[in-house]
Amino acid sequence: MVGKNCFAIASDRRLGVQLQTIATDFQRVFKIHDKLYIGLSGLGTDAQTLYQRLVFRHKLYQLREERDMKPETFASLVSAILYEKRFGPYFCQPVIAGLGEDNEPFICTMDCIGAKELAKDFVVSGTASESLYGACESMYKPNMEPEELFETVSQALMSSVDRDCLSGWGGYVLIV
Amino acid sequence: MAMKVDMSALETNFSIPCLDDGDGMHLSADSPDVPSMVLPTCADFDGFQAATKDMVKNKRGTTTLAFIFDKGVIVAADSRASMGGYISSQTVRKIIEINPYMLGTMAGGAADCQFWHRNLGNKCRLHELSNKRRISIAGASKLLANILYSYRGMGLSIGTMIAGFDEKGPGLYYVDSEGARLVGNRFSVGSGSLYAYGILDEGYRFNMSVEEAAELARRAIYGATFRDAASGGCVSVYHVGPDGWKKLSGDDVGELHYHYYPVQKTPVEQEMTDAPSTSA
Repeated sequence: MVGKNCFAIASDRRLGVQLQTIATDFQRVFKIHDKLYIGLSGLGTDAQTLYQRLVFRHKLYQLREERDMKPETFASLVSAILYEKRFGPYFCQPVIAGLGEDNEPFICTMDCIGAKELAKDFVVSGTASESLYGACESMYKPNMEPEELFETVSQALMSSVDRDCLSGWGGYVLIV
Repeated sequence: MAMKVDMSALETNFSIPCLDDGDGMHLSADSPDVPSMVLPTCADFDGFQAATKDMVKNKRGTTTLAFIFDKGVIVAADSRASMGGYISSQTVRKIIEINPYMLGTMAGGAADCQFWHRNLGNKCRLHELSNKRRISIAGASKLLANILYSYRGMGLSIGTMIAGFDEKGPGLYYVDSEGARLVGNRFSVGSGSLYAYGILDEGYRFNMSVEEAAELARRAIYGATFRDAASGGCVSVYHVGPDGWKKLSGDDVGELHYHYYPVQKTPVEQEMTDAPSTSA
């Protein structure tokens, strides 16, 4: 979710196989660099592998260009990597959030084969995405300060995962 | 191959005036005494039933358990209703009070369980009135099992335990919509039943106090709600003794979690600092 010169990215912590809960501390939001985070919902193994591949590509980019990737560029990179596997995809729906030049927040989401969906306010993905859309839509206000953004994102996440069997067991919220 | 469906649920034991007021709210087309349930006209009735069952998405997302011990029967259940992945309610009453000395648990289709348990309650009362004594748990469960057997294959989804106290002592029967009727000392039904069995079987002894037995049941249901996504909400625990059933407790699963595993104070690794104020 976008705020005033800041963004928030949040996820739940459950890892499960259909109805069985395997872990309650699974990390799904990963750091690419200080001002760029990616959240990966969907299959746990694909989330981890995709993250490792993206970090690898970003490190190469840093070595060649001697700077960090811009969020828009990174989103295009993720989209291309996902489309490479068009006929045997990664079962992940990424949510990308970053601060671009002048600390202008950038967010986007994708489906599992790389269709980019830019947004100005908030993006959601996961099993509770329909609930999340509803919660974010009603709680979102433009130009929120970081503290208020944190409250909003936490409330939206908690109320949505409380209505979903397959999400829950706490949440991570990061504000940048 | 006509299947003899048990229509006794629809029998009316009093006469209904057959009013024709144009809206057509009759109990039956011909006469008020002939019970009829309208069946859809289609070529593949069984396939239609299977498709309806899929549509309604009954996945027995629940955990219920019951066990006999020396002081009666303990019955416990969670309270979550789920439709696929969506939680439709966290406050469902899954333990149905059939009469003051008999309880039934609900697993499977909520509507199915509620209707047929209510119907069983009616039949038990009628038995009491015509025989001047209470029906036994064996008899009550047999009544239900026979009804469910006649509806076998038609898409009912019921996995219930009938628990109670009669002249022979505590009684516990498992009855399901496939027509099974099993007598036993310990049962757990639902998607979370395997997790509940693990805790229940480990802690079970025949000689326990009522508080110990209730705590075992509570712990078993809590364990099931931890591992099973389709179970959650609150844990209700009932005890059926010689004087009838009594509700012992209803605890929210989230609060139970922190009761069993209190938060340990961990050393602070990273503190959230205030965001630097940006110059406007």
